[in-house]
Amino acid sequence: MEVSEGAFPSQADKRLHRIIEGLTFAAGDIVSPAQIADVIAEVTGGEPPSEEEILSAVDELNDSFAANNRGVRIQKWAGGLQMTTGREVAPYLKTFREQTHERRLSRSLMETLAIVAYRQPTTKPEVDYVRGVDADYALRKLLGMDLVDVVGRSDSVGRPMLYGTTDDFLTAFGLNSLDDLPDLREVEELLDDPAFDKERAELLMLRELPVSPSVNGNEEASGTEAAHGSNGAVTNNSGQE
Amino acid sequence: MYRVKLEDFEGPLDLLLFFIRRDELDIYDIPISRITDEFLSYVRLMEEIDLDGVGDFIYMASILIGIKAQMLLPQPETADGEEEIDPRRELVERLLEYMRYKEAAGELEVLQEQRGDVFTRNAAEVEELSHREGPPRLTNATVFRLISSLRRLLREEEEQVQATHTVDRVHYSVEEARDEILSRLQRNNKFGFVDSLRGAPRGRIIANFLAVLELVRVGSIRIELPDERNDFIICEPAPEVTGSAVQTSESQG
Repeated sequence: MEVSEGAFPSQADKRLHRIIEGLTFAAGDIVSPAQIADVIAEVTGGEPPSEEEILSAVDELNDSFAANNRGVRIQKWAGGLQMTTGREVAPYLKTFREQTHERRLSRSLMETLAIVAYRQPTTKPEVDYVRGVDADYALRKLLGMDLVDVVGRSDSVGRPMLYGTTDDFLTAFGLNSLDDLPDLREVEELLDDPAFDKERAELLMLRELPVSPSVNGNEEASGTEAAHGSNGAVTNNSGQE
Repeated sequence: MYRVKLEDFEGPLDLLLFFIRRDELDIYDIPISRITDEFLSYVRLMEEIDLDGVGDFIYMASILIGIKAQMLLPQPETADGEEEIDPRRELVERLLEYMRYKEAAGELEVLQEQRGDVFTRNAAEVEELSHREGPPRLTNATVFRLISSLRRLLREEEEQVQATHTVDRVHYSVEEARDEILSRLQRNNKFGFVDSLRGAPRGRIIANFLAVLELVRVGSIRIELPDERNDFIICEPAPEVTGSAVQTSESQG
């Protein structure tokens, strides 16, 4: 087979594009890059494309969909690929599907979900504490909607169950991974008070952080958070350079 | 008789934030005594109208009372220049932390809205997911503002009833109140809650209030909260936003 080099994807790449488009279309559901690679390896008997190659082919496909006014896109959701309609045709699809009202979660469910999403793995007592409300009802609903699941048990007293979000959660919110969650804003940003007393705020909120005298708190704080993140908690300082 | 679940609405921390926002209080310097008293009066009213989930509010009330008591006591001497601990500190930390997650919930809502603009081929399954658990409708009003109106109305009513005489107990059902609201809404397409019930007996006011909460939840009515007035306006539900054409033609007509 002749392989042409140049500004356009090579012949082999185009074949990859074609396969991804076909598979995601036919699957309807989420297809993982690994599945695609397996299929290709089995059919061709050759070296399968890497995940990076597949993902960049998806980007190129989406670019070409956009450039050619196509009505579909391939989304990267929950670590996989799923073909969907494009945003531009949303009004038509809403009418077509007779979607009369927006499917939205109530405020209490959304808040509970946010707490689980950002603090996971987390326990019910922790969720109760943050909202000041017994989370039993909300957690049961979220479990019923497959947005939240039990991911294990804590080692603390009574071994309470640990809750986390599911792949369905990622898909329902259009996220590829938990790293794509928007940053949790810091308290200072939330309080739009110009007369905000910074020293006092630090005194009030930085209780858990090691208070080392004479060091400016800033670097310390981010270091601690990053360390926290490696323990499996979600950190959201990515992109804050 | 059904009970309105407060769980679908807001919790005790929301009530505190509601006071703080309404009175433009400094979150780091909450007038605990005043807030505690007001918090308690709300909780008593909630108990009276028998909202589900009042327990969490009672628990918070006890925390507030604890803080209030601590602030009245002389602070113990702190050894060698240690920071004096404000009894309110833990509460403030909780409120601030909660605010962060409230905001995050708002962000998630935006993501979900954006996600709603793209459709998958097997959307039937997604649809099913949302129907499996009936999606509670989102209300923009805070339930506390509604309760504020209710409080005022009940107080007015108390002032009026000064002559003491025994009255037969009349029962009002939420179902009747619901029908009443809906038929009233057919006659005039919006009306004020407080206006419509001025002088009504207490039982009827409470039945109507619960009916309003229920109707809002299922989306049969919509509530407008004018900024300055201590009343809320009950109106027809918003027309389904299927296209901008519907709304423009309506505003022209």
